[in-house]
Amino acid sequence: MSVTIRAQSDVLRGSLDLLVLKTLSLIPMHGWGISQRIQQISSGVLEVNQGSLYPALQRLEKNGLITSDWGTTDNNRRARYYRLTAAGRRALGQELESWKRFAAGLDAVLRSS
Amino acid sequence: MSWLAAVRARLRLIFARGAAETRMDEEVAFHIEMESDRLVREERLSAGEARRRALVTFGGITQHKEELRDGRGLAWLSGRSLDMKLGFRMLVKYPGLTIVGGLAMAFAIWAGAVIFVLVTMLVNPTLPLPGGDRIVQIRNWDVAASAAEPRALHDFIVWREAVSSVTDLGAYRDVTTNLIVSDNDTRQVRQVQAAEITASGFRIASATPLFGRVFVAADERVGAPAVAVLGYDVWRTQFDANRNVLGRTVQVGETYATVIGVMPEGFAFPVSHELWTPLRVDALDRAPREGPAITVFGRLAPGVTMQQAQAELTTLGKLSAVELPNTHEHLQPQVVPYAKLFLDATALNVAILFSINVFAIMLLVLVCSNVALLLFARAATRENELVVRSALGASRGRIIAQLFAEALVLGGVAAVVGLAAADLVLHGWALQFLKENFGRLPFWYDPHLSVATVLYASALTLLSATIAGVLPALKITRGFGSRLRAGSAGGGGPQLGGVWTAVIIAQIAITVAFPALAFVEQRELLRIRSFDAGFRSQQYLSVMLDMDESTGAGANADAIQAAQRERFVAAVEGLRRRVAAEPGVAGVTFVDRLPRWYHRERLIELGDALTVPGQSGASEPLREVSTASIDPSYFDVLNAPILQGRAFNSGDLAPGGRAVIVDQSFVDQVLAGRNAIGQRVRFAAMQRDGNLPDESRPWYEIVGVVKELGMGAATQHGRAAGLYLPAIPGSGGPINMIVHVRAEPMSLAPRVQTLASRVDPTLRVSEPQRLDEITKGVQWVLGMWLRVTVLLTAIALLLSLAGIYAVLSFIVARRTREIGVRVALGASPRRVVAAIFRRPLTQVCLGVLAGGMLIGGAAVALSGGGFSLEQVGALVAYACLMLAVCSLACVVPTWRALRVEPTEALRAE
Repeated sequence: MSVTIRAQSDVLRGSLDLLVLKTLSLIPMHGWGISQRIQQISSGVLEVNQGSLYPALQRLEKNGLITSDWGTTDNNRRARYYRLTAAGRRALGQELESWKRFAAGLDAVLRSS
Repeated sequence: MSWLAAVRARLRLIFARGAAETRMDEEVAFHIEMESDRLVREERLSAGEARRRALVTFGGITQHKEELRDGRGLAWLSGRSLDMKLGFRMLVKYPGLTIVGGLAMAFAIWAGAVIFVLVTMLVNPTLPLPGGDRIVQIRNWDVAASAAEPRALHDFIVWREAVSSVTDLGAYRDVTTNLIVSDNDTRQVRQVQAAEITASGFRIASATPLFGRVFVAADERVGAPAVAVLGYDVWRTQFDANRNVLGRTVQVGETYATVIGVMPEGFAFPVSHELWTPLRVDALDRAPREGPAITVFGRLAPGVTMQQAQAELTTLGKLSAVELPNTHEHLQPQVVPYAKLFLDATALNVAILFSINVFAIMLLVLVCSNVALLLFARAATRENELVVRSALGASRGRIIAQLFAEALVLGGVAAVVGLAAADLVLHGWALQFLKENFGRLPFWYDPHLSVATVLYASALTLLSATIAGVLPALKITRGFGSRLRAGSAGGGGPQLGGVWTAVIIAQIAITVAFPALAFVEQRELLRIRSFDAGFRSQQYLSVMLDMDESTGAGANADAIQAAQRERFVAAVEGLRRRVAAEPGVAGVTFVDRLPRWYHRERLIELGDALTVPGQSGASEPLREVSTASIDPSYFDVLNAPILQGRAFNSGDLAPGGRAVIVDQSFVDQVLAGRNAIGQRVRFAAMQRDGNLPDESRPWYEIVGVVKELGMGAATQHGRAAGLYLPAIPGSGGPINMIVHVRAEPMSLAPRVQTLASRVDPTLRVSEPQRLDEITKGVQWVLGMWLRVTVLLTAIALLLSLAGIYAVLSFIVARRTREIGVRVALGASPRRVVAAIFRRPLTQVCLGVLAGGMLIGGAAVALSGGGFSLEQVGALVAYACLMLAVCSLACVVPTWRALRVEPTEALRAE
């Protein structure tokens, strides 16, 4: 099956959105936590521009993929916690699938050369 | 639901602006704190250093916050609100433009709204009754005659039995009659608009009486006691709102009826009725296409469409056509929405009515083009500001949006003023205007501002803001880039093109023409007011006499009519005797058309003896004369002496009598001043292919000449040639009774009414008025047009002056540098002014000239002749006056131009 290299869907603009959704699929989290988790899991390979994280979160919330509420952190600080909505979970599944096909295609091309 | 969450999130982001800002600040602060803590913990940095690093890593906080704000979708909103604020500031900063432009736009929106309300009311009336849209009328349409056939009693009975798609089928008959209320010694008479109606009418209208009861089926039966239901107004005025009215006997025409109920205020079903009696179908002539005129109505059965009802009626119509070929061959039953039948809503009528809306929109476009000119001039004076905004990154669209918003604010204020004025006019004038023009109005005609009107006015406001705001904005912003590059906003800026020039010239021409129109209307009003009747009309009372129609069944129609006529003549004569015997009455007489009102115009042929010199008898033209049928006492009662010959006497009323009397105007115009006595005239036949002498008609002989006594309507121009025929009062139908009263004539009116009811209860007295006041209605309508014209004139004048002022200001602003240079080089002020104002002054002159020609052309077209030297002089004087008025607008800009200091003008660049 071929994967067309094109701009990704309107729902998920850029890989940052995908990473945020994936991170939130495990556990609800605040903004700083999300940036730390991405960095941790990728062993420091992926570093999120912290300032751009919040516009991405706002965009996802506006599109109904995530929702947010105020909560309290372990050290008793007030923080905004984001979590995935059902629509976000569906979108994540589709985009992961698409990403995997894209990566496999890319891999195949790179290996042949 | 994801979309719901998304919508909620969006709304929260947009509307909870304060909360969103707080949240953003808190989140950023939390993030920086957490990152600082981490750096202190993991990298052992000092608190200060950790915070600095955290801030650096986060990036430009302000920029990110702006990104978040943009993401909230608020950027455009805050921009618009800023534009609106600026728009309001402009209203205050330029009060002159606000007043002139705002008033003009308000007027256009007012006109649009009022016309919209009236047109909608006429074209698409809604019946304010429960389920009013399902109430229908059924009528027979005669396809051969292209007219409705109202004698439908026979069909009504058939339909009532057979039709299933329309329920509560009922009918009514319109009756104008006397309501006579007698107490022990007093007797009150009032002419009422009554409806003989089936009991179902009250069910259709879902009406419950204020008290008492409405009709039931038993009331419709022949022989049942006569009953009546009173309207609220009748109850209040004739019975002093007394609740004991139930059970009282009143006289409705000839019938004594018991009052059984009173309807609530505002109830006037079926049209504009104020009293109801049962329609007794069985007592009437039910032969096909015979009997009285009735209107059939009903309600569509549940679930039935108009088309289905029509299909059923069409089938019944075909059956009738087969069964009754003599009467029903060409009749087709039609089902029509109830309220629509009162204005024949043919496609042409609807198109004509809607085109009035188009006229209003065109007026709006015209007015707004002028306001656009003003706004353009204002924008031109603010060009530097706009160029700077553009240089700072505002797109062309953004600047256009700003100017649009300014115009929208002006339009919005104008719309509020316009709608308020429309409400005032609709409540105060519209109904009276419609009544003056159309007489009785159906109860569902209630002109008022509706939601649809407000929406329509909003659309007009948007359109006006687009014209007045966007057009100048497009023009002013064209070439901003090149001007920025040129580094100057002063030279080579926008110019006033040919279209604007044409607009200004047309505007001035209209301004010049309007006052002339107002003048003509004013003169017409004065002429009508002072139209001489030839006698002391203020001493005379006139009333119209008529009699209820007879509805006897079965008998010969001609015999009934003849009997009715005889009864009417006898009643009129009886009333004459009684009124003449009243104290203070100097005389009583009769005429079919009142002096100074419209008369019957007929063509006459002159006798052989009167051949006009130079013409043969055969080719002699027919002459149009105004005729009136009068009682022999007419001239005597009006105190108009016979100038020549004799007056009418009772012998002239004999069947073979052929005497006529003419007035002085007849002698002057028809007989060219020759002796009238003994001359013969005969009426010509009016035929489709031309009017021809009719040999079969008898000759009349002129036996007398009187002075002119208002034989033409006050609204008509020129002298009418009058010809009087003697007639027995009442023999030709409704007749006007004229009473010469020594005291105030109107004080006798109630007495005449009472006397008439004593003579014959079916003798109706209506339209009591003083003879000098019969043109009051016409004067009211003309006065209203005059007021509208004056308003239009004022607005056109204001717009023109403001337009000229704006154009000149614009030119001075644009050519400040040039003026400075000219003055620096030693040019005299006169030369500077001449150079600057040559073009606008040419426009003003052209406009005044065009306006003058417009007036002249109209005057020639109306009078059909040329101009006298005096008239030309008046026109030139008027044009000079208008030129001077228009030049007034030049004073301030001229003064401003002359004050330009060369050094300042050059430094400003």
